[in-house]
Amino acid sequence: MIKRPGGELASRPLHFIWIADSSGSMEQDGKIQSLNTAIREAVPHMKKVAEDNPNAQVLVRAVKFSNGAQWHISQPTPVADFGWTDLNAEGETDMGKALELVAEQLKMPPMSDRALPPVLVLVSDGQPTDDFDAGLKSLMEQPWGKKAVRIAISIGKDVDNEVLQKFIGNSELKPLAANSPEALVRHIKWASTAVLKSASSPAAGAEVPAGTDTANVPIPTAAPADAGGAAATTGTATTTAPTGTPAGSPGDPNDQNTVDDVW
Amino acid sequence: MSENKNQIEWRVISETVPGASHLRAGTPNQDSILFVRESSRGLPILVSTADGHGSPKCFRSDFGSQFAVKKSAQIVGEFLDERRGRFDLAEIESKGKEYLPKEFVKKWRKTVEYHLKNNPFTEEEFKKLEEKSSADARKLVEENPLLAYGTTSLTVAMEEEFVLYLQLGDGDILNATVAGEVTKPLSEDARLLANETTSMCLPKAENDFRFFVQKISAEASPAMILLSTDGYLNSFSNEAGFFQAATDILEMLRAENGFSDVSDNLKAWLEEATKMGSGDDCAVAIVYRPDLLKKPEKIEQSEKIETTTIEMPPSKETSQAIAALTDSETVTPEDLEDVTVTITIKKDKNKISKSSSVALAETDSASSKLKNASDNKTEENGTE
Repeated sequence: MIKRPGGELASRPLHFIWIADSSGSMEQDGKIQSLNTAIREAVPHMKKVAEDNPNAQVLVRAVKFSNGAQWHISQPTPVADFGWTDLNAEGETDMGKALELVAEQLKMPPMSDRALPPVLVLVSDGQPTDDFDAGLKSLMEQPWGKKAVRIAISIGKDVDNEVLQKFIGNSELKPLAANSPEALVRHIKWASTAVLKSASSPAAGAEVPAGTDTANVPIPTAAPADAGGAAATTGTATTTAPTGTPAGSPGDPNDQNTVDDVW
Repeated sequence: MSENKNQIEWRVISETVPGASHLRAGTPNQDSILFVRESSRGLPILVSTADGHGSPKCFRSDFGSQFAVKKSAQIVGEFLDERRGRFDLAEIESKGKEYLPKEFVKKWRKTVEYHLKNNPFTEEEFKKLEEKSSADARKLVEENPLLAYGTTSLTVAMEEEFVLYLQLGDGDILNATVAGEVTKPLSEDARLLANETTSMCLPKAENDFRFFVQKISAEASPAMILLSTDGYLNSFSNEAGFFQAATDILEMLRAENGFSDVSDNLKAWLEEATKMGSGDDCAVAIVYRPDLLKKPEKIEQSEKIETTTIEMPPSKETSQAIAALTDSETVTPEDLEDVTVTITIKKDKNKISKSSSVALAETDSASSKLKNASDNKTEENGTE
């Protein structure tokens, strides 16, 4: 056969970004340790999900925010090579600055228009101490910021849910409330597997007539039931849960196990 | 015959393959491709591709894309036929921009409605939709049944003096000059991001078309036009890689067996692209002008070709032959007194000097049988 014409072929990039609260309050009751554990445990599951769709290249990185915001893992890392580095907690809750950092990276370039919609997962236990609205505005000014799948996980009872809801930007999808380490593990795993699976699926790569979907990535309807019975998603996003979720797993809509609230 | 004598020849190679992810999911190829050549007239050549949306709500988009390529070719063809012999580019541009999208969308919708009337949605289709999509998906489709047939559309029409481009939604059309410079004839549409696309199924779809009429001449004409659904371009790591594909194909087409080399391999190239790249269906049409890509033939002395050039007034036999070529009743030697016939006699059979305006069969005398060079082209076209 004659040599194939054209440049290098590549699967479509799917950027997955953790936006993690590392403020001083995360030190209390072992929240930061629980977050580190939850993300570390989720990574192998992310790898497995990514293997199921070779036409999407999952690239993971993380931003942390406390006094200001910094890239905790700055390079978009292929999920196969990704390893979690523990966060330490101290300082304020400069969530707005974290969103500005993310917004900067969602510009084109460095993003390309052939990417799949990015997944942004915001995890926080508190209330922003900086100008959150300015950060959100920067994010939403970027086309990829608007098109991103935005998930929020709240830790404990001191969270400003209104702020997290603004970040999600979809009234049918609520912040996931984690009031215990077990719930946090479940939510982190759901975001990094069920949501990632949907975002990297052929349906996510499929053309959608503009304006006909509330989101162009089919977010699984069935968010994990919260251990403490607190607010979870309403499950009214665009599609049903991905099939094949094992019973009793974090993504199982029938998971109604409860434990005492810790946070 | 005289109408075709100086006509530009365009050749077309096209292929579509199902996406790698579609094969894994068991969904059909939703891309369509069509080219129409007026065999009696040669031009226009109409080439159309369409990309049926992959969203679960667009579960009949394979039909939608088939209807789109047929209707666009029909509407554009009729529009040009009505103006044949009196082409006014300014009028085509102003009228076409308004009329073609509106008429195309109207006819496509009518076709979809007719198909739907004869093939109502089934419970099985809705069951699959509800499995794959949101709870309100069925309601959305029932409210707008066109959604099930959603598709993009890319159409190009080649005429003697211009090329007409009409596009709705994502996908790309590239122009390549004879020097290998690759450009996009249509403006970018910033709305086409994150798999969202304008579509035939949307209300006011006629307002979302991009349209362009490109004047061409002997000096300025694309040597090749490439139409592609987004599955192919999204398979390259960047846009430069996609442009490079156009440049590489252009170079391949310059070769002696360029047509067969590209047409024989295009399917395998697209299969590799979707497997290693986007996973999406791919449809590609390549339209090119062999006359612009022809390399000057080199006659090597080492090939032992004996060439003799004789310049002389035309003989009686030659005059008759020219008359036959030009459809004249009679051409006398007096009519041709200013004509000099250049006869190239070569021992190497079938190799004709590019400079000859009249191709001659191998002969030992000036009393030649004449053969219209376009006969060879007709034979080649038969392989398309």
